[in-house]
Amino acid sequence: MKFSYNWLSELLDGALPGPAELTRLITMKTAECEGVELFAPALAHAVAARVLEVTPIEGSLNVQARIDAGPLHGIKQVVCGAPNCRAGLVAAYLPAGAELDGRVIRKVTISGVESDGMLASAAELAINRDHSGVLEIDVEPGSPLPGLAPDHVIEVDNKSLTHRPDLWGHYGMAREIAAITGAKLKDPVKASLLPAGEPLYKVEIEDHSLSPRYSALVFENVTVQPSPLWLQARLEAAGMNAINNIVDVTNYIAAELAEPMHAFDADKLQGNTIYVRRAKTGEPYDALNGESYTLDPRHLVIADSGGAIALAGVIGGAGSAINGETTRIVLESANFDAACIRKTSAGMKLRTDASMRFEKAQDPNNTVRALARAIELFEIVSPGIRLRGGLIDNFKAPPAPAPITLPMDWLIRKLGRPIEAAEVRAILESLEFGVAEPTPGVFEVTVPSWRATKDVTIKDDLLEEVGRMVGYSSIPPEPPLKPVERPWVNHERLFHHDLRQKAAAQGFTETYNYSFVSEAMAARFGFTPDQHVHVLNPISVEQSLMRISLLPGIHKNIVDNARYSDEFRLFEIGNEIHKRQGNGLPHEVPHLMAAFHTKADGQAAFFELKRLAECLMPGCETVPTSSFGYEHPARSAAITWRGRQAGRIFELHPSLVESGRASILDVNLAVLSELGPEPKRYQPLRRFPSSSFDLSVVAGLRELTGELGRRIRAAAGANCDSVEFLYSYQGQPLPGDKQSLSYRITVSAPDHTLSNEELTGIRSAIIEALKAAGYELRG
Amino acid sequence: MIESTLSELESRAAASIDAAATPDSLETARVEFLGRKGALASIGKDMGKLPPDQRAAVGKLLNAVKQSIESRFDARKAIFGKAALDSRLAAEWLDVTRPAPGVRPGSLHPLTLIQRELEEYFTSLGFAVVDGPEVETEWHNFDALNIPATHPARDAQDTFWVEGGHVLRTHTSPVQVRAMEKFGAPLRIIAPGRVFRNEEVDASHEHTFYQLEGMMIDRDVSIAHMLYFMKGLLEAIFSREVTVRLRPGFFPFVEPGFELDIKCLICGGPGCPVCKQSGWVELLPCGLVHPNVLRAGGIDPGHWNGFAFGLGLTRLVMMRYAIDDIRHLASGDLRFLRQF
Ligand SMILES: [Zn+2]
Repeated sequence: MKFSYNWLSELLDGALPGPAELTRLITMKTAECEGVELFAPALAHAVAARVLEVTPIEGSLNVQARIDAGPLHGIKQVVCGAPNCRAGLVAAYLPAGAELDGRVIRKVTISGVESDGMLASAAELAINRDHSGVLEIDVEPGSPLPGLAPDHVIEVDNKSLTHRPDLWGHYGMAREIAAITGAKLKDPVKASLLPAGEPLYKVEIEDHSLSPRYSALVFENVTVQPSPLWLQARLEAAGMNAINNIVDVTNYIAAELAEPMHAFDADKLQGNTIYVRRAKTGEPYDALNGESYTLDPRHLVIADSGGAIALAGVIGGAGSAINGETTRIVLESANFDAACIRKTSAGMKLRTDASMRFEKAQDPNNTVRALARAIELFEIVSPGIRLRGGLIDNFKAPPAPAPITLPMDWLIRKLGRPIEAAEVRAILESLEFGVAEPTPGVFEVTVPSWRATKDVTIKDDLLEEVGRMVGYSSIPPEPPLKPVERPWVNHERLFHHDLRQKAAAQGFTETYNYSFVSEAMAARFGFTPDQHVHVLNPISVEQSLMRISLLPGIHKNIVDNARYSDEFRLFEIGNEIHKRQGNGLPHEVPHLMAAFHTKADGQAAFFELKRLAECLMPGCETVPTSSFGYEHPARSAAITWRGRQAGRIFELHPSLVESGRASILDVNLAVLSELGPEPKRYQPLRRFPSSSFDLSVVAGLRELTGELGRRIRAAAGANCDSVEFLYSYQGQPLPGDKQSLSYRITVSAPDHTLSNEELTGIRSAIIEALKAAGYELRG
Repeated sequence: MIESTLSELESRAAASIDAAATPDSLETARVEFLGRKGALASIGKDMGKLPPDQRAAVGKLLNAVKQSIESRFDARKAIFGKAALDSRLAAEWLDVTRPAPGVRPGSLHPLTLIQRELEEYFTSLGFAVVDGPEVETEWHNFDALNIPATHPARDAQDTFWVEGGHVLRTHTSPVQVRAMEKFGAPLRIIAPGRVFRNEEVDASHEHTFYQLEGMMIDRDVSIAHMLYFMKGLLEAIFSREVTVRLRPGFFPFVEPGFELDIKCLICGGPGCPVCKQSGWVELLPCGLVHPNVLRAGGIDPGHWNGFAFGLGLTRLVMMRYAIDDIRHLASGDLRFLRQF
């Protein structure tokens, strides 16, 4: 919402701080300002000038004009390209030294002719958006442009006005400024202008909960024409477009009093009853914006006996729109249910200045105030205009809210600083709250109608009014004197932090990837769209699915980083998001995924990840399994730990990594959390020395080292401490289809030193078992 | 007689030992004088021929000479030993400027670092660290936070909707409600986590970012109490004086609501892309919990009240490390990530 400093100043009596300071004060006490800008600075220098003579310039579309710019500037010569530049015209002249669009105008030579200043268009002067020619005016040469002056525009963040229907107009903001600065608020509305007598139209409201009030006036002898320049400039400063005098006045009042209005061409209305009703199913509606809509009972319409003439609170209809021929108008000033307007405007994607205000819950008392203001302004912009009939007004006032009880001691406890009751009363009264004190120390506060629709309903809301006006910087921080208990411990989160620390210690760097994947990304890994939770309104197709695996993101990290680096390690801890049957929330499963990329041998990459797995899950085992399409078909395994399947380890299919080889470890952290920390219990140290011996077993080339080790261990019996794989060997004298696998077996007994006989016995038992299983042993 | 022989032997041995230039010639000298068949041994053998009354005196003398030769030998031997060790060690010269082999630790994401730091800080003040789902129910994300479907505040949230009528949580605030449901009052929690907004990405906007929600519920919690925690939090984060301002802010789930801004640490005030040219960075929206939110969490606002805040962790990380482009954080670019 844009606020004109000049406009605000007109609504206040008393000296105001400058625009920058006022902006700061509004930010600190009322609503967030995004900035303040000098607006239409050229108007400080613009004067009227009469064109005396126009001479064409050879070879140019521009003309050379001699102008009389009044006693101060005298006769000047300017070059002008406007089609309406002609002798006798009185136009807006900007002398050298004036500022335009941040530049200073200088004496220049254009098309070989000297130009001392320039004739300016209304758009250049920021009065409206008319670029078609120079601005024509009707005042003495040398006079400043009437009613026009540079302004400052304060832009307030709309989000911070969401709860304040009154601040969608300058008058509401002026009231805040009055409370902040002590200036006196001036009401621009003269309620006495409202006509008495029999109204020309009847209003029937189907459901007062959707439209508590519908007021209107009928005007005749209307002349539809451009508005005076001062009004156009005001609208421009407030960010609106000047259209014609009638529409401009309604927009002006919306920006001033926050009451959106609409003018119908009375001669285009059928009958003399205005209906406020729900739309019929399939009811057609042609709106002012040139679009056609099909309505249904969720929508509220204004109708005559012929059908819908406006989509209530959102946009007027094409059929009843005013135009240059209009002479009689019905001016609507109504109040609508905020939720209904919001649903309609959101559902139809029609955000208008009107719907934006109505969805904040406007004050129903404001409808007739706005009409009174319109009477005054119409008389200025359309001389000769006349009222017909009395005020049309159908109002079923909602029950007045009960006053809010505000105990002083409660207020002080919540504020956390002392404050005098008199100061509280002064603040609330400056914001036009009614304050009574039936019992000492307890206020009964009546909320003004423009704050009562939704904004202020409980004492906590009044705490805010007092707090912001005394200034939050006046509250000294204070520690609460409350008992503290040992907080609940989030073991899962601590566990994840621990894993991060361990992965980093092993050389892996943490990444954060998006929770979104595209269908194309998912498809590379064989995931189909129907496996995923879909984002219904994605920013782009790149972010249309919720990830069911961290793999697409990690894969992207691998591809991206391979451009800069040959060998790297990275990991992520994040949630997989899986669909669930029914309407419950998706299943979020935390996973850790780590990757190692290298230009070298993929085997090394695989074991790098296996090393990480063993650091994270000491004693975990890799169990060969069938592979997924994105895995190297001969290099993938499931990881089991403490009897549970805890994840997978695999080399990425080489077709997915053009830059080298990459291996992946994927751990389901939900499983690890379920397992909990591994119980630790002290085992007495062995008191008797252990002995070791090595064995080399001849086996096939695809013998699993782990399997064979387990076999040896089983055969070694109860006194076996460990079976450790040492190395493998291929070559002479072994046949080409064999390898030898060497192990070191360590044995000891708890109660004595093993004798040579016992050692030999264990060794023989192992050898026997291996031979029985068809293995041979090497020397 | 024998005395003079011993004395002469001692001088000869001394000369021999001193003259030995190598460990080998020293050993030759040792064998010659101290060996089993050496000069001293043969004199010892002749001792028996002496009359008994002389034996003791001669024996004593013999020992003294033996000790003198031995100690001279040991000293000489030690010199050789030290020289040998010195020269061996000198040969073991090491180029200490060579890079050390082995894998270096990786690094943790800056958002992890800041989360851990704040989790520890708040845990020390008695706050539990709680989590909530990233895909939330509409009720928890909005309605329970006093934002009904028709509330215009929903527009400000640029919500991603997913199947089943659920949303990607637009803030960590729904965890307030989940924590109240789970723990009741009194309550002290923080909830760091990932949130989503349907926004185009540029240098200062992301559709995915991190917040840290905080909430304290007790009896008679005041704005002054809230400020105490916010001040401590900022001191913990920045370990230095930061300029702050507290101003009204509208959030339907608090009443009154505040925006706590800090002076931009990237530009120091004149304006830059991170502070959207304003010189101030909105860091800490906060306020006293709205009674409707307490009710939604099953807590009686007649007995309890509290404060809540939502810290923009992503913003904070950018301020802390002077990161000028938000997109780095989700880029997965190790050249960026390894700096932390
Ligand atoms: Zn900045």
